[in-house]
Amino acid sequence: MAGVEIRQVVKQYGRVEVLHGVDLSVRDGEFVVLVGPSGCGKSTLLRMIAGLEGITGGEIAIDGTVVNDMPPRERDIAMVFQDYALYPHKSVYDNMGFGLRMRGTSKSEIETLVHEAADILQIKHLLERRPGQLSGGQRQRVAMGRAIVRRPKVFLFDEPLSNLDAQLRAEMRVEIKKLHQRFGTTIVYVTHDQIEAMTLADRIAIMKDGHLQQYGTPDEVYNRPANRFVASFIGAPPMNMTPASVSADAQVIRLPSGMDVTPRGANLAACAGRDIVIGLRPEHVALGHDDPSRTPVSGQVELVEPLGSETQATVRVGDARFTGRFSPEAGLKHGQDVTLGLALDRAHFFDAETGEAIRLAA
Amino acid sequence: MLTFDSTKSKPTTKPLPLSRLEKSERHLGLLMILPAFLLLFAVVLFPIGRLLVTSTQRLSLTEPWLGTPFVGLDNYREALTDARFWETTLNTVIYIAVTVPGAIVVGLGLALLANQPFKIKWPVRLGLLLPWALPLVFAGLIFRWFFEFNQGIVNNILMWVGLPKLAWLTDPFLATVAICIAIIWKTSSFVALILLAGLQTIPKSLYEAAEIDGASKWQQFIEITLPMLRPAIIVAAIFRTITAIQTFDIPYAMTNGGPGNSTETLAMYIHKTTIDFLDLGYGSALAVLMFVVSLVMTAGYLRYTRRDPRQEA
Repeated sequence: MAGVEIRQVVKQYGRVEVLHGVDLSVRDGEFVVLVGPSGCGKSTLLRMIAGLEGITGGEIAIDGTVVNDMPPRERDIAMVFQDYALYPHKSVYDNMGFGLRMRGTSKSEIETLVHEAADILQIKHLLERRPGQLSGGQRQRVAMGRAIVRRPKVFLFDEPLSNLDAQLRAEMRVEIKKLHQRFGTTIVYVTHDQIEAMTLADRIAIMKDGHLQQYGTPDEVYNRPANRFVASFIGAPPMNMTPASVSADAQVIRLPSGMDVTPRGANLAACAGRDIVIGLRPEHVALGHDDPSRTPVSGQVELVEPLGSETQATVRVGDARFTGRFSPEAGLKHGQDVTLGLALDRAHFFDAETGEAIRLAA
Repeated sequence: MLTFDSTKSKPTTKPLPLSRLEKSERHLGLLMILPAFLLLFAVVLFPIGRLLVTSTQRLSLTEPWLGTPFVGLDNYREALTDARFWETTLNTVIYIAVTVPGAIVVGLGLALLANQPFKIKWPVRLGLLLPWALPLVFAGLIFRWFFEFNQGIVNNILMWVGLPKLAWLTDPFLATVAICIAIIWKTSSFVALILLAGLQTIPKSLYEAAEIDGASKWQQFIEITLPMLRPAIIVAAIFRTITAIQTFDIPYAMTNGGPGNSTETLAMYIHKTTIDFLDLGYGSALAVLMFVVSLVMTAGYLRYTRRDPRQEA
């Protein structure tokens, strides 16, 4: 087991710079998820850790050793690819044992280790089959088997669940989590799915356009997002974002279309006289105005999405829109006039220009 | 308990009579394939049929007064006892045995080279296509000049490095070697094109996985490239073998089968029998024998391609 240190890592393709000095420290045994939209550089960073991409600037160290010029096979890592990259002409057994064979492990030891890994992943009955004869979920298990059989220092996962259907994805998430709990090996995991990131990670690194936006625990990135991008990227349905301006005495928030709201339960002194963006999670939007801690606003239901256990509805308030998660019993209808209670004490405030979070005084 | 007996409930299936629409569609379908069928009949089926008929006749244009009597399998019997038939067949087998693997090895090398991430790819690809685009006889003439005793570039190089000149085209063994070299040069680019297409279907991630698994470049070639290329190699080998059975132009242009009959192929012998000696009956029997061998090879190819190449990979 080992930690991974990424220091000021830069990646350029010709003149195009895709990673602009990323710093990231993965502790020994930690499960770190790199998450971000397509093209943010997360897979490139993972491939640089693996040694499949060269490093233009900066340093990557695995277990304290700088690996910048070390070929992949000497880094003692294992990687699970998005397309699994199973050798189609080899049996599952040979796929799993390939890395051991290349490293000169004896036949009897390979057999023991492959059977042990196959046992853990419940794929013993598939060992004689070829990858072409397996389902997507089974291939995924074999790809993980190939990775764990060598007991490497670090596991790297490159969007491993993106080719699976929703149910299988949920199942495999559990499997991956179990594997991490069982082996305690350091994992760096790339995904664009924020649910995977939230459910799996010890810490999440959120990236955008080759920059690290925030690095923290799932609780930190969800409850204390560093900026507007992180706030809107993490959470489903996404956080409601409403541009607004705050009066000089911080007593009145002016919403788009000139609607003035007197905030309850939030000390907006830090936002006084500024143009801001209010970020409010859907769970902090309620129906009714009985709760004195909530700020009431009136609007009209624009969209209703019943999900069975809850109903998501978007309410138009002037030019602003708020999506909330409501009880199905509320019986919301399209076009219905409603009053919403906004829990502004739970809201996030961002600078309208920079998008950086404004921390309010408690 | 509710049980279900599939044998009892199996409905008796009787083909339903065709509706008017289905009948007219069937007629239209037949009408559409008729031109292609007529063309194939004219250029393939009829000549083969005529060849089979002629091979059972005594038909020599040098003895027209004998007519064209039916002789059954006499021409075939004659072929099987004809020393020159066996000699030319053996020569053909030698060309197949040497030039097919030779072209695959050279073609694989060229394909691997062309598959490298060169910035400018067209010179490599053009270099690859050029020998293929050249007419066979032209290639034969070029190599005849290369291996020519006095002015040939090969002997010039041998002299330049201090070795004696060799009688490339007049020594039976050396002539076979020279012809094999010419055939390999001419045909390896076709093999390379097939293998290049095969190489480009191998996902890059397999090499990356192998690299992480600890495989060296050579191990990646043995463990990934070669097995993944197997279907392409087999297709190339079969195509190459079918054309190698019919080897004619290059030895014809380089040695015309000489010295003696030492470099003569079966196709050249058929050509000589029918065109030079005007013995159409016997020549046809020889051609049928060659056709049967080609057919067996083609059948092997068709049988192979029925399988799913990805599963085979």
